Amino acid sequence: MHAIGLVANPASGKDIRRLAGKASVFDNREKLAIVKRAVAGAIATGAERFVYMNDSHGIVSEAIKAIRVPRGVRFEALPSPKTSSAMDTTAAAEQMASRDCAVVLVLGGDGTNRAFVKGWRGATLVSLSTGTNNVFPVMAEATVAGMVLGLMATGGLKARSVARRVKIIDVSIDGEADDLALIDAVATSDTFIGARALLDPDRLKEALLCRAEPAAVGMTSLGGLIRPVADEDDFGLHLVFSKDGRCLKAPIGPGLFATLKVGSTRKVRFDHAIALKGPLVLAFDGERERMVGMGQNVRMTISRTGPWVVDLNQAMQLCAKKKLLLESN
Amino acid sequence: MEDGKIPGALHLYVGQEAVAVGVMAHLSNADQITSTHRGHGHVIAKGGEFSPMFAELYGKATGYCKGKGGSMHISNMALGILGANGIVGGGPPIAMGAAFSNKFRKTKQVSVTFFGDGASNEGSFHEAANMAALYQLPCVFVCENNGFGEYTAQTNHQAVTDVADRAAGYGMPGVVVDGMDVMAVYEAAEAAVERARSGQGPTLLECKTYRYYDHVGVRGMGLTYRTDEEVEAWKARDAIESFEALLIKQGVSTKKKIENVYARVNEEILEGVAFAESSPFPTEEDLLQDVYFVGAAS
Repeated sequence: MHAIGLVANPASGKDIRRLAGKASVFDNREKLAIVKRAVAGAIATGAERFVYMNDSHGIVSEAIKAIRVPRGVRFEALPSPKTSSAMDTTAAAEQMASRDCAVVLVLGGDGTNRAFVKGWRGATLVSLSTGTNNVFPVMAEATVAGMVLGLMATGGLKARSVARRVKIIDVSIDGEADDLALIDAVATSDTFIGARALLDPDRLKEALLCRAEPAAVGMTSLGGLIRPVADEDDFGLHLVFSKDGRCLKAPIGPGLFATLKVGSTRKVRFDHAIALKGPLVLAFDGERERMVGMGQNVRMTISRTGPWVVDLNQAMQLCAKKKLLLESN
Repeated sequence: MEDGKIPGALHLYVGQEAVAVGVMAHLSNADQITSTHRGHGHVIAKGGEFSPMFAELYGKATGYCKGKGGSMHISNMALGILGANGIVGGGPPIAMGAAFSNKFRKTKQVSVTFFGDGASNEGSFHEAANMAALYQLPCVFVCENNGFGEYTAQTNHQAVTDVADRAAGYGMPGVVVDGMDVMAVYEAAEAAVERARSGQGPTLLECKTYRYYDHVGVRGMGLTYRTDEEVEAWKARDAIESFEALLIKQGVSTKKKIENVYARVNEEILEGVAFAESSPFPTEEDLLQDVYFVGAAS
């Protein structure tokens, strides 16, 4: 019996994009309810051991208190630095990597999943959306997601049968720690990180996209509306914004449209590096994250070495096919 | 205060500077604020001068309220400071009323109310939020969530951890922002103030911040409601030091220029304290002046 990891980001779904755009507020009581449903689903399908990020808002711990835990089911809170920042998620991921977790439930947006993967790149994830930019996580019923977690923990479903390894962008910056992005890495002419969201289209310089999704919002849609790239494609897309470029009207955030000028668009092979030079600000998965100083070099590459992501529909289809929940006569 | 020079209690704002600065950068003197018992930073950021502010703390006749207000009640109409308030949650209804006036008079003024996580449990906050949203008033609710209502941790006085979550209940947007990052507050406040000024209604802006000193005074009460490690962890993210580092990294300023700013401000503070200490106390004859309205009712 393997363990199940549980991560709920208390900060997801609350940033300035509810104000500058028209994004929804995702309150923490709803996240707590999602955890309860997921845990119920997991226990119903046989899960007995959970390890969880002891988040600063107590989402998972409060959810556990609110459910009737059957005898033999154990929950372990992982020590947390409680910085109320992405570092808490990364620290939890690092610990889960050595706790025999078959699969991890991550509640958050693209940024939360990025923070997790920084701590455990090879994890197998069930990512449910409780964030703003939600290309990586999916909207799905937590009860069903929990059932899949339980089936994977008990060995009824194997990760290799229901999960796919996704693309990732690796970023190296001269003299500083490396970084990564799961969906998009964008260079801007901003001069500070501030409230993080990418709201000023005039400041966009270049973008490297793992996925260019025309049916999503945010940076991924900029490429998606020109040259869609799916996660199944073994390449990415590089956009250069230019005053002389073609006008593109796109949803840069929830309910927030902008007209951008795209100078060039080209496919990027896995072995090809995109080089940039500071000063600039780098945004990963929709949020400004790193300031690059004058003359500092940046290299970005795409590869299929990201985490494994579970396809919930595929998993439940396989569950039905294997009759995992059907009692034998 | 502890040396007996300043009457009453002082609730120091140190640690929370990014909030006042980031918000006030978008306001003019015509815009109004209501402050809290921890309001020195609001006064300074709204354009208050050290001399009359310190004089008010000392209870002197040269103070902003002629020595009758003290630390918790500084007001100045010319600066749009409608008053600090010793009553927890006392500010939101006043700011909402000012916002109602602004809308009724068709001005472009915005009112901003500062309050803490503790005040967000008070009925006055809820009533003000409800009315501001109902009438789509030009009001910004800025919750300075420093994690404690006096000596009570937030987890022990409310079931939600993000006060911003409460905004949805009133039909206004709620946003959480890092209150230790002045540029993050600046960007979020810019959007909230612009929203209010353009007639789109109120916003609840929750700034996660921390006070370095105890609830009251410099030396504090010696209580054990928080650990030294927790205080030091927040100090490691100090808003002023972080902003200095940003300015230097971006080539906007230099260490030397920043040292000059410190020297100049320290000098202004010392001048303000000297002014306060050398100023007279109000006289007995002043006792009822400026307290009651004098004039003919129309």
